[in-house]
Amino acid sequence: MAIAARPTTPTQARRWQKITRLLPYVVLTLGTVVVFYPFIYMLMNSLKLGREILHSPNALPSEITLTGYTGVFTRLNVLLLLRNSVFLAVSITLLNTLLSALGAYAVAKIPFPGRNQIFAFMMATMMIPGVLFLIPTYVLMYNLGWVNQFQSLIIPAAVSVYNIFLLRQFLQTIPDEQLEAARLDGAGDIGIFWWIVLPLMRPALTSVAILTFIGSWNDFFGPLLYLTDPNLWTVQVGLLQFQAGVPGENIQEIWAMITIITLPLVIFYFMLQDQFVQAFANVKFK
Amino acid sequence: MATQTANIPRAQPAPGAPTRGAHLWRQMVRYRWGYIFIAPWILVYALFGIYPLVLSFYLTFFNYSFVRPDDLTFVGVGNWVRGIQDVLFWQSTFNILYNQAIFISLTLGLGLMTALLLKQITRGGRIFRTIYFLPVVTSVIVLMVIGGYLTSATGPIQSQLLRAGIISQPVFWQSTFWLPMPVIAVINSWKWFGVGTVILLAGLYSIDPQLYESASLDGANGWQLFWSITIPQLMPQIFFLLVVDFINGLQMFGEVYAMFDIYGGNQHQALTPVLYLYAQAFDQSNMGYASTLGLMLAALIALVTILQFRFVPRDVD
Repeated sequence: MAIAARPTTPTQARRWQKITRLLPYVVLTLGTVVVFYPFIYMLMNSLKLGREILHSPNALPSEITLTGYTGVFTRLNVLLLLRNSVFLAVSITLLNTLLSALGAYAVAKIPFPGRNQIFAFMMATMMIPGVLFLIPTYVLMYNLGWVNQFQSLIIPAAVSVYNIFLLRQFLQTIPDEQLEAARLDGAGDIGIFWWIVLPLMRPALTSVAILTFIGSWNDFFGPLLYLTDPNLWTVQVGLLQFQAGVPGENIQEIWAMITIITLPLVIFYFMLQDQFVQAFANVKFK
Repeated sequence: MATQTANIPRAQPAPGAPTRGAHLWRQMVRYRWGYIFIAPWILVYALFGIYPLVLSFYLTFFNYSFVRPDDLTFVGVGNWVRGIQDVLFWQSTFNILYNQAIFISLTLGLGLMTALLLKQITRGGRIFRTIYFLPVVTSVIVLMVIGGYLTSATGPIQSQLLRAGIISQPVFWQSTFWLPMPVIAVINSWKWFGVGTVILLAGLYSIDPQLYESASLDGANGWQLFWSITIPQLMPQIFFLLVVDFINGLQMFGEVYAMFDIYGGNQHQALTPVLYLYAQAFDQSNMGYASTLGLMLAALIALVTILQFRFVPRDVD
């Protein structure tokens, strides 16, 4: 169903068919170049010397150097930033996945009185824009003395309604009989959750874990507000602080650091591509 | 025990209040693990959801600052009066609407175009889909730092535009009045159009092919098929993207914080409502007023969302 006028003669028609079949590939390949270019630009500049980045930022490196990467460790203390970011992202992901799975099991499979009301309330909370919580949450954290404490980011993110919702959707596809059988064998709710529900939920848990990990790794506003002590900075805050310094200074380290922050995610993404797409778009392809 | 009574059919409750209460209590005891498992969410949300929500309404009636915490003065609706008259708040609102109009058109347009192309090809669709989705995983800060270099006066985009003669001299777009918002919209659409592609592609696959066949038999051409079948059938997906993009987009912060000062540049050309709120809270130390600005933005978001639901009265899951 080409969106164009129909050609008339047979040869013209054949040529036209060939073009319409190839055209999407051409356009899609051009799109690929646009998508990849910033990543290539990043890699390219991370392998240059500082003055070369300043004088010819758009050219390929005349000689490949790793001084940016070594400088990131000696001059910018990136290990500390990485440690903070990994600690936050891993603890939030583990906690959130487990607690959201527990919550999802409760609202999907345990018919406790008030369940529907609680679930409806949870769905309603998703409609409230996050900006409303910003200032009062800061006031709360300040009064709790949690500013410059990692728990200010971990505890509020320990369980989330969106993840409960995603996992509940998945759990509803599991027949109740499967759980009832275990119940008749004498398993309690904790046993059923741990030995049956969790293993069955593996694909959905992967999606939720990816989403949570990326969310925490890429989070900027949270660490900016609550972690003002440079010893607690995450990679995102650290990067911006270095970038906001003297213009041109540390330029090779900055490009190296952008690469260090981004490349693991890109590799991770290509390894788990389908789960990523499903996690973010909540869409399944056959 | 719950385990032994699981399969016994529930007894018909006899009329009368005490029996019903007893029955409810039995159910609650029997399914107690439900409450225990949902308790973490309830606790977290009570402390970091409901309490801040109440506090935000409370704070809006006061002048409250961290510098002088004891100096909590009641100002009534003073913060609201000030907010409605605040030129900077309205400029930030204008900026973000201007940005979102461009951003949403771009992501929806690009997403729909790539989805249509991906639907047409027979081979390699999965590879393209994977590649197009890649920018979604980049962080806002990384995106803005790279985007800043790419669009800078010496960057590759401007040097190509110069060579092609489209611009006659390098543009320092960050300090112009009209350019920051469109440029940020373009950079952001690079990151986000993959989500649109994936969601719209799923929508395209769910359209019944018979609709196209019967319309083609009636003599409809490609363009007519697109407008009379594809677009109406994709309405749930388009609507979903519109609502989600808009709710997220109106709360933009990191993008402008990474590139401009906290007042959005010397002419406030990149001031967004959340950036302004941040400046009021942490630069001016004006928590009550910042809280009010948060409520005003939330009201604006609610208003726009309701309008969107009005225009497309279809249920979307």
